This record gives sequence, structure tokens and C-alpha cells, in this order.
Amino acid sequence: MYGNAYIETDGSKVHSILADEDPIKLAEFEARIAAGDKIEPKDWMPKEYRKQLVRMIEQHAHSEIIGSLPEGTWITRAPGFRRKLALMAKVQDEVGHAQLLYSAAETLGKSREDMVNDLINGKSKYSNVFNYPAPTWADSAVIAWLIDAGAIVNQLANSKGSYGPYCRALDRICAEESFHLKYGHDNVVFLATGTPVQRQMVQEALNRWWEPIMHFFGPPDKASQHSEILMRWKVKMGSNDSMRQTFLNMYVPKIWDLGLTLPDPNLRKNEESGQWEYTEPNWDTFKQVINGNGPCNKERLAVRRMAEEKGRWVRKALLSKSDAYVTPLA
Amino acid sequence: MEFTERHVEGLKELLYKMADDLLIIGHRNSEWTGLGPMLEEDIAFSSMAQDKIGQSLALFELLHELGESDPDTVAFTRNAPQFHCSQLVELPIGEYDFSMVRHFFFDHAEAIRFEMLSETVFEPLAMVAKKFKGEIKYHTMHADIFMQKLAAGGEESFGRMQQAINENFGLALGMFEPGDFEAELIEAGIFGGEAELQQRWLDKVVPLLTSYGYMVPSVDAVEPAFGGRKGVHTPNLQPLLDEMTEVFSIDPGADW
Amino acid sequence: MKINSLDPRISRAELDDESKIGELHGSEHFQTYEVFQQIKRGTHHQHVGNVHAPNAEMAMLFAKEQYCRRGAAVNLWVVKTADVFVTEYQDADIFETTEDKLYRDPNSYKVMDRINAFKARTNNA
Repeated sequence: MYGNAYIETDGSKVHSILADEDPIKLAEFEARIAAGDKIEPKDWMPKEYRKQLVRMIEQHAHSEIIGSLPEGTWITRAPGFRRKLALMAKVQDEVGHAQLLYSAAETLGKSREDMVNDLINGKSKYSNVFNYPAPTWADSAVIAWLIDAGAIVNQLANSKGSYGPYCRALDRICAEESFHLKYGHDNVVFLATGTPVQRQMVQEALNRWWEPIMHFFGPPDKASQHSEILMRWKVKMGSNDSMRQTFLNMYVPKIWDLGLTLPDPNLRKNEESGQWEYTEPNWDTFKQVINGNGPCNKERLAVRRMAEEKGRWVRKALLSKSDAYVTPLA
Repeated sequence: MEFTERHVEGLKELLYKMADDLLIIGHRNSEWTGLGPMLEEDIAFSSMAQDKIGQSLALFELLHELGESDPDTVAFTRNAPQFHCSQLVELPIGEYDFSMVRHFFFDHAEAIRFEMLSETVFEPLAMVAKKFKGEIKYHTMHADIFMQKLAAGGEESFGRMQQAINENFGLALGMFEPGDFEAELIEAGIFGGEAELQQRWLDKVVPLLTSYGYMVPSVDAVEPAFGGRKGVHTPNLQPLLDEMTEVFSIDPGADW
Repeated sequence: MKINSLDPRISRAELDDESKIGELHGSEHFQTYEVFQQIKRGTHHQHVGNVHAPNAEMAMLFAKEQYCRRGAAVNLWVVKTADVFVTEYQDADIFETTEDKLYRDPNSYKVMDRINAFKARTNNA
């Protein structure tokens, strides 16, 4: 589950991004991408392409493993067999997605261990939404439906990107996310059409999650030469605002259909422009949370540290000293 | 032969203890999901936990056909004294050594129990036993490989695993606590009985553990942790149930 | 400070939010295994991804659940990544074929004209 990448665009460096790249190789590389062909791990690629891809795929992988935690909050408490089994499978899938994505990022030369270290030491980012708590069962339902829906919008776009291993991972991930979306929708529908207590629970969860969901796609893009290059290289596949629009267009009607409300009085579709109008979420809050000051940042990382620490003796016992690590193939 | 009331009682007792065992161990093992020692193992262990819950559901459905309440009601509204699981399965997950040893002990017992039940005269149960044969085969394969590799994984690993074997052997034997209808179940061809199951289990796990290099406690020297089948549990079960049913009990009549 | 989590699994663990444990060391790498899955008998095994695993048996256990947990497989191969010999993409031109290899193409064998001409000739005779 992943929204848009937090690509750092440092204006002063833009001119130097391509300065020391071999112009002939660069032209071949760009021609390949323009022709709709994929880049594979051992291909020549600009340093900036590698750097941004590692950053993005790694953030995506972290978002999956950390993303298993808010819903994991309810894994021991899911009501009834059907929900219990489905939630277990759903959280498991997130772990599986992390595995696929770490592998894809590894093909670019950064080991899984280095990525995990950067995560638990707070150096790498992950999707902001997972720094929010899931205080009720309905929160887990809203996450499964709407965060996964948002993730699919982003991931379907990214699966058309230029880097082969990332595309392959995303194809598998999108197929699994469609189960999540169905499960989440089913779960929300049961609550919204259930008893008054259930209905209130899901409405409150929706109110809590609306701003994080609006944040999920990232702040409005600033036009820059850097992001132009990343679009041309098919690293970034769409603007944050256009993905947010796609999401609103697909899901707001479904939410309203259930008689649920959203905590934004300005939210409406402008029938003339076809665009959704909304109140900008508070982007200062977004920055605060990204920089480690969200309600659950500390807990999320502490839990990952605990998991790595508890597993240490198992991994150590199983390691074979004679076997050297090599980068996975594809 | 025609089933008497005692045969049906015995069958239900058997189904309850199996279903409860599977529900509780599946629930416990699901606690590792997202927190496992490595991503790939996290996924594998979670699948097995799901399998256990699914198997338990199939058995609760058989009970429902025999006149008991529906699976959700039975699983999510009883208290500890009404549960028939063995004490082994209710203990917290602890460290991976304990979880792995419990998985090995339990899954071999389950594999043999289901193998015995694939011959039962109660046809619906035989079908359930056959249906899950593949799942359980993978579970024992997984347990065997981990027990073997962790035995060979150096001093700390071997020590942890050996200690977990020693400390939990009595709890494992508690799985074979005889029920009130052993003779009836055997006589009717429903189930070969706990004594036979225990013997076949020992014949399987003792040579395996020995071949991996572990010492196996002597059965005579260990007190089996009985009680679970009769509703006598460790203090761990009721809090587990309170947690598991927290949402369901907000409104047990609601559709969740 | 102790973390007061909404997740009962986490609150039981009594975590400290400032603890510095958990760091992985470079020496903790497992090797990777490439995974090949056969969907049904009679078809080729196909590469589906990889797993990190300490040995082949565990690679098989892990691959089974990571790649086949939604069914649809009858057989798996796991192969150490290091043991796979690969061509370079920059050598992809070795796979290019030229137009003068028509002798490998079944469509380049057209004999009906010749047969018909032969028949016409012999019938007329």
C-alpha cells in the first residue's frame, strides 16, 4: 500500500543531474524508454534514475511492512471466522509485497539489510498514513478499503513505468490488492448497513482517516525541471493531484452511496470541469508527520526494531558462512 | 453399526477438542504475522496459522450439522471453562524457539490424528481429514526443516530449542488426554483413541528429534499437562478469548 | 518511554520507544534463490521471482507460500541466484536474426507452383 513517492527535488542540483552522464548512452536510454521498452537491472542507467528508483521502491517496500501494523492492530480481534481469516491473509499480503519490493530494489544494488537499517534508523520514509492509529475495528475496514484503493490508483500507474523489476512486482501486487479492496469494501458495507453502533463506528473512522487519505497522494506537484525528467524517464507516472482526482472520482460516490459523509463541506464534483473540488488538507501536518512527529511514528519503528531483534538469533543460526550474497536476477 | 447417544457425544467431544485446538493455535500463531524473524518466514508462518483457523472452521461446521450453534457463535461466545483445547496451544507465542517447538509437536499430532480419521466411519469427518491432508503435510515439512536446521545452527540456537523441547514435552503430552468416550469411539470405528495417537506420535517425533541431535525427555519422567480437554486451563486462555471476542461481543447478534 | 499501543500484541511486548536495538549487520545476508513455478503438468516452469533463504529446503518452503499461496502450481524449482549463468542485455544483438535465414522459416518453402507446373507438363504430354 503506497501513495506517491516523496521525491526530493533540490532545484540547485537540477542542472548537474545529467552533466556528467555519457550523452550517447543517455540518448539510447531515453530512446528505449520513449519507445515503451523496459530498463532491466544490468542496463546502463543515469545515476539519478538509479537513485530515485531505489528511493521510491524502498519507500514503497517500507510502506508495505509498516503498513501491516495499523491493520495488524486488529488481527487478534477480528469478529468471526470470515473476517479473521481475511484480515490475516490481508496483513500477510502486505508482508509479501514488502518481500517483492525489497527484491526489486535490491536489483539496483542496495541490499535488503541496508534498506531495513535505513528504515529502523529513521533515514528512509514510508507512506504517511501508517503513522496514524487504528483505534477501532472500523478503522481497519476503512484502511483496507480506501488506503488500498488509493494505493491501487498509484500502483497501476507505476506498473506502466520503465523499470522492469518494479513493474513485475507491481503486477503481482495489484492483483493481490484487488482482493484487499473487495475485502475492505465488503467490511465497510457490512458496518455501514449494520446496527447503529456499527454505522457510527465506521462514520467516525472515516472522519479520522479522511485527511490522511487526502495526504496519501502527496502535496500538489510543483512544476520543475527535475520532475519533468522523472516523468520522461517514467519513474514518476502521474502528478499527485491527478491521482488524487482519480481516487476521488472513483470512491467518493461509493462512500456517499452508503449514506456516509466526508468531513469536508467543500467536497464536490465540478460538473463543468469534471474535476473534484475540495479543501486542501493541512500540508503542515503532513510535513510534521513525515518528519517523525505523527501519532505513531515512534511506535511503528520500535515495533520493526523489536521484530528484527527477536528474529536475530534465528537468522544467525541459519546463516551459512560459506554462501556469499549476490544481487537477485530480476 | 448404529450410533448411540454416547457415540454422538463422543464424536462431539472429539470434534470440539480438535476444533478448539486448531482455533487457538491458529490464533496464537497469527500473532507473528508482520513480526516474524524474516519476511519469507513471516509469510509462511502466517499461511499455516490461516490454515489452522480454516481447519477449525470446517470442524465447527461439522458440529453445527450435529446440532451445535453456528461456528461464529460457538467460537466467539464461549469462556475458557467451555473450551476443550489442550494447554499447549493456549500459551503465549513467546520467542520463536517456543513457537517452533509447539508447531512441531502440535502439527505432527494433528497430522497423525487426521490420518487416523481419514478412515473414520463418520464420513463427513473423513472427508474433512482428506481435504486438509496437503496443508498439514506442508506444515510438518516446515516444522521438520526448521527443527533440523535450528539444531545445527550453533550453540545458542541448539540450546534454545533443546530447552523449549524439555520445557514443553509435558504440555505436548497433554494433547493426548483421554476423553470420556474413548472406548465408544474405538468400538464404533469413529476414532482409534488418544492412547494410540500418543504412541504413533512418539514413534514419529522421538526418532526425528533424535536424528536432528536433540535429547528427548522420557515419557515416564514427565507429567502430562492434562486438564485442557475438561475445561481446566492455564491463566492464558481467558485473556486470549477476551481479546479474540472483543469486537464480536460488541454485538454478537450483528453481522460483522 | 514505554509504548502504550492499541495493538495488544505490541502492548504485551512492553516496548521502549527510544530503544536502539534491531540494527542488521552486513554479515546477516542470506543468499537469494530464484523461483520457478510450474502451473500444470506438461507446461514449462516459469520464473516468478526470488526468495532470501539460508538453504535450498527453506527456499522451497518460502517460495511455496510467497508465490503459490493462492494455488495453481504442481511443481517448484529453486535455484541459487549465483548458479544462474546469464547473458548481458548489451549482448542482446546476438539474438537478432537476419533476413537471409529464410531457410529456417517454413513459409519460405513454397513448392506448389513447381508441382502444378509439373502436373500441367506431364498431363499435357
